[in-house]
Amino acid sequence: MNFLKEEKFDIKEGIKLHLIKTELFKTNLSCVLMTVPLKKETVTSNALIPFLLRRGTANLKDQYEINKKLENLYGSNFDCGIDKSGDNQVIKFYMDGINDKFLLSKEDLLKQNLDLLFDIVFNPYLENGLFKQEFLEMEKNNLENVINGKIDDKDFYAFNDCLEKMYGKKGFGLYKYGYLEDLENITLESISKSYEDLISKSKIDIFISGEFDVDSVKDIVFNNENIVKLQGRNSDYIQMNPIEEVKEKVEKIAEYKEQLNVNQGKLILGLDVNYNKQDYRYVGLIYNAILGESANSKLFQNVREKAGLCYTARSSFIKQKKNIFIRCGIEIPNYQKAVDLIKVQLEDMKKGNFTEEDLENAKIFLISGIKSIEAEQDSGIVYYFGQELSGTSEELEQYIEKIKSVDKNTVLDLASKVEINTIYFLESKN
Amino acid sequence: MQIIENDKIKEKVFIKKLENGLTIMVIPKKSVDKKYIIWGVNYGSVDNHFLVNGEEVIVPDGIAHYLEHKMFEQRNGKNSLDVLTALGVDANAYTTNNYTAYLYECTDNFYEALDEFMDYVQNPYYTDENVEKERGIIEQEIMMYEDYPDWAMYMNAIKLMYHNNPIKIDIAGTKETIAKIGKEELYKVYNNFYVPENMAIVFCGDINEKEIFEELEKRIVIKANPNEVKRILADEPEDIVEKRKEISMDISMPIFTIAYKDKIHDNKEMIKRDLAIQIIIQIVMGTSSNLYKRLYEDGLIFSDFSYDYEFARNYAHVYMQGQTFEVEKVINEIKNEFDFFINQGISEEDFDRIKRKIYGDFVRAFNDVASIGNSFINKYFKGNNLFDYIEEFEALSKEYTEDVLKDVFKEDKKVISIVNPLENEEDVSE
Repeated sequence: MNFLKEEKFDIKEGIKLHLIKTELFKTNLSCVLMTVPLKKETVTSNALIPFLLRRGTANLKDQYEINKKLENLYGSNFDCGIDKSGDNQVIKFYMDGINDKFLLSKEDLLKQNLDLLFDIVFNPYLENGLFKQEFLEMEKNNLENVINGKIDDKDFYAFNDCLEKMYGKKGFGLYKYGYLEDLENITLESISKSYEDLISKSKIDIFISGEFDVDSVKDIVFNNENIVKLQGRNSDYIQMNPIEEVKEKVEKIAEYKEQLNVNQGKLILGLDVNYNKQDYRYVGLIYNAILGESANSKLFQNVREKAGLCYTARSSFIKQKKNIFIRCGIEIPNYQKAVDLIKVQLEDMKKGNFTEEDLENAKIFLISGIKSIEAEQDSGIVYYFGQELSGTSEELEQYIEKIKSVDKNTVLDLASKVEINTIYFLESKN
Repeated sequence: MQIIENDKIKEKVFIKKLENGLTIMVIPKKSVDKKYIIWGVNYGSVDNHFLVNGEEVIVPDGIAHYLEHKMFEQRNGKNSLDVLTALGVDANAYTTNNYTAYLYECTDNFYEALDEFMDYVQNPYYTDENVEKERGIIEQEIMMYEDYPDWAMYMNAIKLMYHNNPIKIDIAGTKETIAKIGKEELYKVYNNFYVPENMAIVFCGDINEKEIFEELEKRIVIKANPNEVKRILADEPEDIVEKRKEISMDISMPIFTIAYKDKIHDNKEMIKRDLAIQIIIQIVMGTSSNLYKRLYEDGLIFSDFSYDYEFARNYAHVYMQGQTFEVEKVINEIKNEFDFFINQGISEEDFDRIKRKIYGDFVRAFNDVASIGNSFINKYFKGNNLFDYIEEFEALSKEYTEDVLKDVFKEDKKVISIVNPLENEEDVSE
């Protein structure tokens, strides 16, 4: 087991560099992550910003120049996106390029990749200090299509709709790309101000993963003119504290049925996990694995295999929000049957109707997942970024030990504190 | 044993063909903990018509996929997927047009899993009961695909191009065709096609190749086929069936596929053609192309086009896909652009730049054990491997590429498949 290690360096207050040295990949992957609280007032303009930034830099005036450059850099890839992490919105920018040792002739590809990445994020193409009008018009259009496109993936649509019903249009309940009514109101002035706010107030984390010399890369980043220009900041991102948080007791389960043109019904059960002990994270993961994460799980075995009710039946643990979401694709007439059978699984968990073997299988499954974090280049970044946001610094070895130490009684304890909050069903119109 | 290697990319493959006809390929990956193994069988959804000792057999649509689902059942009542999952390995299987694959990846327990893996692939066990139980699950899977507009668009394009070729068959079949699949049919396919001469195993990870060859060889129990089996390939005329098809589904923006029917050539030619087509499409409509720039700036498109060149057995076609509100205009612009390049040829600058990018893609293809494994199996059943591609790539000329441009992208071989949004727009609440 190689076990990843990261080295962290404070560039300025609120701006950190994380270096993950690994020889396992043929590429170097770099990213800039900007974290801000999720708010209705800012979610949409923040989502628009990466669309705008990739249109051009002060040095490469349009995206074709950027794309040509990327192709010349041996097909380097640039990508950007938006994520939610607890009640935070994360704006992400990625650049990857092949490692210098595979080039057909000697050059410093990693430096060129980093220079380009920082140029795109921090040095946009501006006219009179504002974004280009034409870019704004087009990208507003683009984002409008993305927001409307929610409907193209019925699974995704159902999940987002369910979250909004559970949390309202705030924090985690917000759609990460924002809302049409807010998009309409964005002007050249307002978006330029939003960009300034994002750059100057967000928590910024820069990750670089690959094969390189730490001192040289530190130099490249610290001396990059775009990074030098940044000011320190006391960012107001939300550090989630799920162990302390106490959820409101659910008096009556909220039930929702929505209609769209679907062939297959999408069923979601949103559960609250009201457990507050220190080992919350590890027990929650194990509970969830036994319930619905692998081919050994109760959902897979009982709802899919034995009852033949669905092709997909899984659960996911959103630990920062103390929720578990059970998601199944079922035939619409089987709604009640499926809900009842899922409730039986939850009751079984409460009664302790799971074996030591189930517990062991769950641990093996989770540990295998932890060990493979180093196997995908962005997983390592995701792991350490998660640590950064939650203010913890647990190495992978420790994580594995904590998982191993969970016993059946502890899982039972957590099971007794799991309650159904919401049942959501997306069915067809007819 | 054969060794193929490339110095620039610093990778190699060991290939051994056993006496019974089974081929094993090992791609070593030093220091990586993850191991990946994939067992491919040269039998897919297109193989619906064959002779067994001169007797004609036609099998129901969807049987290759059904068989794949049933492989995990064991005589002792256990399900191998459960056993593998309990060992902490990530096991899966998939069916394509021309091959079926069984695989797992893991960090620990590789050999324990190998015992189970090689056992389940070589020991079929189908009963009326276990076959019947799977029907409901596969029906749900078929319904899940029916909600995918991309899949409907793609299958329509295939049906527009091919009169008789069984590539038109839905890989999973339909509810009606799978009703005809029973244990007799499954055994007939298994006994005649799941034989060593039709199989290849690819391993990628940090285990010495001599050890892998030994460990695999000693676990092989299946024997060569005693029957004489001949696949009957459909007689397919060179022309297309129909030029165009449009349907409506619940999506936000129209999507379209433009496809060109090609024909199969010898192995070396297919590799060169594949490379040339990749270069052509990127020059004509990739992200650094003039076409992309114009369409994007005119607000006609918002994202890249995707594309692929598919070929095996006796079929070959290329397709490009995009999303736009003005399908006719965009399709027309694409046509004009192809006409332009067919007449004017390709520039040296574009050709060299795209070649550099493709070199980068080759390096990246070796980034991860799973993608290496999949790529080698996929290409094996087309009669080639990644190293062949790298070799042909170096010698590929601009002139040859221009010849392929004229030969493949012909109007009379072109079909267009479109999916439009539904007539009455949904009032989508966000």
